[in-house]
Amino acid sequence: MRTPQLVIPFVVASALAAAACGASAPTGEHGPSGPVVVDLDAAPPTLLSAYNLFTWAPTSGFEFNDRVVPYDVNTALFSDDALKQRAIYVPDGATASFDADQPLVFPVGSVILKNFYFPADFRAPGADLRLIETRLMVRHADGWHPLPYIWDETQHDAVLSPAGEVRAISFIDAAGASQVASYLIPERNQCQSCHGRQDSPGAAVELVLIGVKARHLNRAYDYGGRVGVRNQLDRLAELGMLTGAPAAAAIAAAYDFRSIEAGGPAVVPQAALDDAARSYLDINCAHCHNPQGVQGMTSQLFLNHDSTDLFHLGVCKRPGSAGLGNGGLVFDIVPGDPEASILYFRTDTTKVGAMMPLLGRSLAHSRGAELLHAWIAAMPANPCR
Amino acid sequence: MLHANGMLNKRAPLAMLLSSAGLFCGCGDDLLPNHFTAASCAEVKTRCVQVEGGDSAGLLTLANSIEAGTTIVLGPGTFMMTNQLTLRTAGVHLLGQGIDRTTLDFSAVTTQANGVDAVGDDFLIQDLTVRDAKKDGIRVESSKGVVFRRIRATWTTPSSSSNGAYGIYPVKSQNVLVELSRAENASDAGLYVGQCQHVIVRNNTVTGNVAGLEIENTQFADVHDNTAEDNTGGIVVFDLPGNPIVGRDVRVRNNIIRNNNHVNFASGGTVGSIPVGTGTFAMASRRVEITGNTYQNNKTGDIALISGLVVEPDSTKWTLPTASLSGTYADLALMPGATTGTVMNFRSENILVSGNHHTGSGTSPDLHDPLGIGALLAAQSDGKPVDSVLYDALEEPRFHSTDSSLNSNDRHICVGGNTGGTFASLDLREQSATSLVPFFRPAAPFKPFDCTALTGAPVGDVILP
Repeated sequence: MRTPQLVIPFVVASALAAAACGASAPTGEHGPSGPVVVDLDAAPPTLLSAYNLFTWAPTSGFEFNDRVVPYDVNTALFSDDALKQRAIYVPDGATASFDADQPLVFPVGSVILKNFYFPADFRAPGADLRLIETRLMVRHADGWHPLPYIWDETQHDAVLSPAGEVRAISFIDAAGASQVASYLIPERNQCQSCHGRQDSPGAAVELVLIGVKARHLNRAYDYGGRVGVRNQLDRLAELGMLTGAPAAAAIAAAYDFRSIEAGGPAVVPQAALDDAARSYLDINCAHCHNPQGVQGMTSQLFLNHDSTDLFHLGVCKRPGSAGLGNGGLVFDIVPGDPEASILYFRTDTTKVGAMMPLLGRSLAHSRGAELLHAWIAAMPANPCR
Repeated sequence: MLHANGMLNKRAPLAMLLSSAGLFCGCGDDLLPNHFTAASCAEVKTRCVQVEGGDSAGLLTLANSIEAGTTIVLGPGTFMMTNQLTLRTAGVHLLGQGIDRTTLDFSAVTTQANGVDAVGDDFLIQDLTVRDAKKDGIRVESSKGVVFRRIRATWTTPSSSSNGAYGIYPVKSQNVLVELSRAENASDAGLYVGQCQHVIVRNNTVTGNVAGLEIENTQFADVHDNTAEDNTGGIVVFDLPGNPIVGRDVRVRNNIIRNNNHVNFASGGTVGSIPVGTGTFAMASRRVEITGNTYQNNKTGDIALISGLVVEPDSTKWTLPTASLSGTYADLALMPGATTGTVMNFRSENILVSGNHHTGSGTSPDLHDPLGIGALLAAQSDGKPVDSVLYDALEEPRFHSTDSSLNSNDRHICVGGNTGGTFASLDLREQSATSLVPFFRPAAPFKPFDCTALTGAPVGDVILP
């Protein structure tokens, strides 16, 4: 028998998140009954509901099919303040296998899904929700197939929309200020911009997952009901959806950004500042800026968490082809001087053509930029000349 | 609306065409059903889809749904795009009705986006204009077999630092042909070939850009019969530090490089330091031939051969592990790095400059470039025009201002055949505002730089498959 899981939307500010997660009152909505449907031989369905992965209501949030397990990541990609609800589906009788550094390896037929939604007012983040899009990655024998679905105005279903859309989205932010994002629902082909990996120049570009690495998943999650708060990796293993994982305590974890979102970089202990900043760069930048990233190779700026070469990390490095992204500055990182560092400029600015990450940001992520500012400021000063 | 294989289109009623959201070109013929006059699916043997002029939503849907090997024929008119046109399929051929008849306009895009952004082998783009992209006009990356033909990448507002960076931008690609195209008003480089192998760039015109035509970290490129006019710098060849594709075998021949006196409107960076009025420079480059070009009225100067240390003085940043290098490099005898198994590529060496025509240049060097190069040249020229070819002898063990025999040419810089212009060498390291060391200005044939051929074979023809 399938028991729907109730998941209250994740909220950015940790204090609010704690309150929301505690308030797991039943809503009267029910998760989908019957099995998840993933037909790899058919053309992808036009309507998202055909997969039977989850149900959604603007007043109550998501309820997942019981083979679909929600998850969160330690530090998340900033996407114009969108709230995100992620989940994993693994077919009955199959299991994902553990990898210490690379994404977990999923069996054919698996689906990774990510919902992007906004409350009308972030000061009341559980109310008046608008679900904008659901991105699926479906595992076929020949690799991952990306499928973007856009939710209709009635919020009843989402439609497969390969062309994507740029939509003006208005909301009140957590500080009470009005924001309007030029929110990008990517074209299907844009999925490759972040999810593409090229193992060597001239090799085919392969689609890879980003968030489902052990270091991002290694954290507690409130599953509600009788399950309660559990480590995500442990929970997947318990459910038989993940094999080969050591105990979560033995696995490195990316820095948990929630405290920074709430209190700014000042709350980060000095000894943890590097880890926090590198975790932020890893999830926000390293999908391109790594030695296998199509565009990362062009720039030779590698921001993956295990990039150790200081030059390729940007220290006193002149950008290759930043165009107007250099902001009139000379070096990617000038240690001790964030205001002179292109890396800070590009992650802080909202100038179209100059900002980073390349896709999915039109607003400033002030907490992220503040963290990078603090990280560069704390480096032993070096004028790079 | 989309029409498979062109047949539907020819029978489409006029009302249907007019319902399409786009603007039409003023030509009367274009309002007739059979307006795919210059290109249509009727002539295409493979999978082919036509898109009516202006149907930008249809074009985006199509681009994200096509199978490999699809030709897309765009009708006449302007496509007001809401996002970049992203192509990630092999064998896409994107054909317009002509450089002045089909336009992809990105001025209304509100997110970060290139114009056309393609990754996929066997890519062709032809007969259209890409206008006002937020970032790069047409960026084709990591692809084998790339053709740009009769296209224009442009920005409407001249000299705006908010214009996109690169107009025509093949990068990390192999077997690239760019021909009969135009690149205008880019805030960085109009036509930028970066990190590519086997490239022909011919019969193009680049105007109003900061850098007109750039060949960066590229191997085996033939750049000929182009016109670079009214840019800050005309045609430049260089390596950047830290890139494992070490540039080599670049031929710049029979181009017209004139009046490149455009204000430098870059927002900074390496191109921001190009002096106004630069014809050509080769920096951190080897096996380069600059021959048979016409240089005219470039007010700072025509040709400079310089070390990469001019822009990145820290030689350690030019260190590359040999195991990381792309293509062949053993014959280049690159300078060894400090540790075994590494090389450094900041030197410019084994360069031929020959048979160029020089008139009217070097008369008014840029006094405001950030590196102070123009001011140095002005101070050294003593009212006379700057010499046609300048060589920074930083990497020479011996430099002397007057005695030919006390100058070395260990880097094999050959200007003996460039008798149409003058030559000077200098050691930039020794120059400062308070101590001007006179340039070495030998008469033709410019001994000891009087050689007339590269070490090893001449740069060969580029033959594309």
